[in-house]
Amino acid sequence: MITFTIDGFEVEGEKGQNVLQVALDNGFDIPHLCYHEALKPYGACRLCQVEVTKGGRTRLTTSCNYPVLEGISVQTNTEKTTRARKMVIELLLARCPGVPIIKDLAKEYSVGEPRFKVDNDDCILCGLCERVCREVVGVDAITFLGRGSDRKVGPPLEINPKTCIACGACVYICPTNCIKLEETESERTIVRWERTLPMKKCKACGRSFAPWFQLEYFGKITDGIPADFWDKCVDCR
Amino acid sequence: MEPANVYAYKLVNRKEYFSPGHRACQGCAEALGVRLVGKALGRDTIVASATGCMEVTSTPLPFTNWNVPWIHVAFENAAAVASGAEAGMKVLMRKGRVPKKRINFLAMAGDGGTSDIGVQALSGALERGHDFIYVCYDNEAYMNTGIQRSSATPYGASTTTSPAGKVVPGQITWKKNMPEIAAAHDIPYVATACPSYPLDLIGKVKKGARIKGPAYIHILSACPTGWRLPPELAIKVGRLAVETGVFPLYEVENGRYRLSIDTGKLRPVEDYLKIQGRFRHLDEGMKEKIQERVIEEYERLRKKIKMTEGD
Repeated sequence: MITFTIDGFEVEGEKGQNVLQVALDNGFDIPHLCYHEALKPYGACRLCQVEVTKGGRTRLTTSCNYPVLEGISVQTNTEKTTRARKMVIELLLARCPGVPIIKDLAKEYSVGEPRFKVDNDDCILCGLCERVCREVVGVDAITFLGRGSDRKVGPPLEINPKTCIACGACVYICPTNCIKLEETESERTIVRWERTLPMKKCKACGRSFAPWFQLEYFGKITDGIPADFWDKCVDCR
Repeated sequence: MEPANVYAYKLVNRKEYFSPGHRACQGCAEALGVRLVGKALGRDTIVASATGCMEVTSTPLPFTNWNVPWIHVAFENAAAVASGAEAGMKVLMRKGRVPKKRINFLAMAGDGGTSDIGVQALSGALERGHDFIYVCYDNEAYMNTGIQRSSATPYGASTTTSPAGKVVPGQITWKKNMPEIAAAHDIPYVATACPSYPLDLIGKVKKGARIKGPAYIHILSACPTGWRLPPELAIKVGRLAVETGVFPLYEVENGRYRLSIDTGKLRPVEDYLKIQGRFRHLDEGMKEKIQERVIEEYERLRKKIKMTEGD
């Protein structure tokens, strides 16, 4: 157990945890958009910035990728952190003025009209979809493309992602809901990646339940499951 | 969100706010529903729980399953207590005694505590517009005290106070449409959910928590003991309830209806009835009657969706 303080309260964390995780577990309110407990921290959104005092030196840093250390003191709500977060929110608001989660944050931190050129994007480049595809799903179908102001997330070379199994994990995790999934009786489409896969019908009840390609992929990565297991939907298995 | 049902489960909150070790029956879908609601709301939640299965099974003195502040209140006033807690916290935050923070207030009750006994407290709280979530775990009878009928018991179901016999064929009235009653209060969010569709349920609870003002969520929770059902079929029966149209999953956001799980063509209601012992006595005529009613209600819902879409 590693003991340190957050806003003057003594908290305990385990080795390998990060400051944000411990703070959230103990009920401290730190805004964050690119952090998810199931994924490796990435530090993209810069909203979770806190002031960390270590060995007499205080600095502003992101708490999601700062490891817990013995004896450090963390301040989650100071003038400096508020200023830093306000700046980040203003930039995000200029990039994505129509996204509800950003608008809520702007209201909470009383950020008004952004002073920058207002764009109309819906992706905040948090990288959650890209990380979930790599770390949880393991198919690595999408990635970051380009640099600087041209940076975006998409399938490599911007052509139809051949490995995408249309599982929808990226749709689920997206904080701004900019990745949409559409499903009809015959096919499923992840709209943003332009990936359309035909659906398989259940042998027992006749409903379409999953894309053919996805079930073939599961057949490949699992051992000892009879092939006809994938012919039926979850209700009929 | 339900199509993303493969890997998205790994992304759901891993912490338990309704811990294991409770004394609910095997296969209790209500306990599962409570657990999922807890995961959706997170640690900053205050729960007011009416009398019912979840109070009896989760807090036998001196134990508790709750990892969040929890208060047991009488049968009729879960909504009143939650609205009081909400108003109290608002004042304490304004006076600076409690740091300003977003806290979820959850009032939970069974179908008896919602549609029979608690309906006046619920109606008052919805009308006053408190910022809280009311969750009704509907297992379609007073299961805790031994399967007595409630106003949420469906037509034809045999319970201990509406037993099926030679003269009376079980429950003789239709199920009270509680989500519609809540929607008639013109509150920002009303939804129906089922633990058999966990991602959908979590999404709806999260949405209800985010929206300012009251939210009402009606969760169909299969009760293997009272429905005379093998425990392993508790999840399946929930899915069948949705697929047959007996319990359609929809949400009403600011008066706008939307079907959340559209299963296309409805299954025959027979599939849902035949696996439950409480409907064992039904003859063809009554099944026909139930089928007609289900289709009629489903069509009515579709009409409402069509009427309110796009405006």
